[in-house]
Amino acid sequence: MRVRLGEDEVELLRRLATEMGMMLDAHVADDPVVQRLFPDAHLSPTEAADFRALTEDDLSAAKRSALGVVTQSLATEGNLDVTLQEAEVDSWLSVLTDLRLSIGARLEVTEELMSADVDPDDRRAPALVTLHWLGWLQELLLRAAG
Amino acid sequence: MASPTEAPERTDETHIADRLDKAWLVIVWNDPVNLMSYVTWVLKKLFGYSEAKATKLMLDVHHRGRAVVSSGAREKAEMDCYRLHAYGLWATISKSD
Repeated sequence: MRVRLGEDEVELLRRLATEMGMMLDAHVADDPVVQRLFPDAHLSPTEAADFRALTEDDLSAAKRSALGVVTQSLATEGNLDVTLQEAEVDSWLSVLTDLRLSIGARLEVTEELMSADVDPDDRRAPALVTLHWLGWLQELLLRAAG
Repeated sequence: MASPTEAPERTDETHIADRLDKAWLVIVWNDPVNLMSYVTWVLKKLFGYSEAKATKLMLDVHHRGRAVVSSGAREKAEMDCYRLHAYGLWATISKSD
């Protein structure tokens, strides 16, 4: 699959990917973003903690690995014009998801907010525009992936 | 003569085996961020579901707030849940009643 992005878009994705990497490294357990990316697997807190202890490192490594694939695709000067293999498309889709979930968790978005037009006077407007742009990019990748 | 007494036994055994195998449910919960098309794609990819089945489950999640997307022994359910988390879906597992 061929992906072409402008320099500004590449720069934005690179910045978001860097922030995601730092967030994964820091792994602040009570950060709402971390809680959304590493959700409880059980409703019982004890069982959730047991499951987390067994799987959290692997899940974090999987997210880092996908992030590494995307970062590598973005390692370019100027505009991006790259052909992705199927496994790389998977990494892009999961990383775009993690980026969107992170912004969504940070802003505590609701379905109402997500379906409303962005109010330019809202202090959340820049982050919401980024969230929607990432969704648009993901939708294009999904259509191409079939 | 034997069949009327044997048949119910077999049914019970099958029933128990089925219950043990289906004892754990994997539930995906609605979230305001993930795209409907993405949720459908993940369900197709991870579980090999048809477009129709994955779409129906996605719509159940969207309209009812959650849907059971797979079931099985505890280890299988936990692995399915882990894989859903790796793709950013909000999933939990529960013991079936």
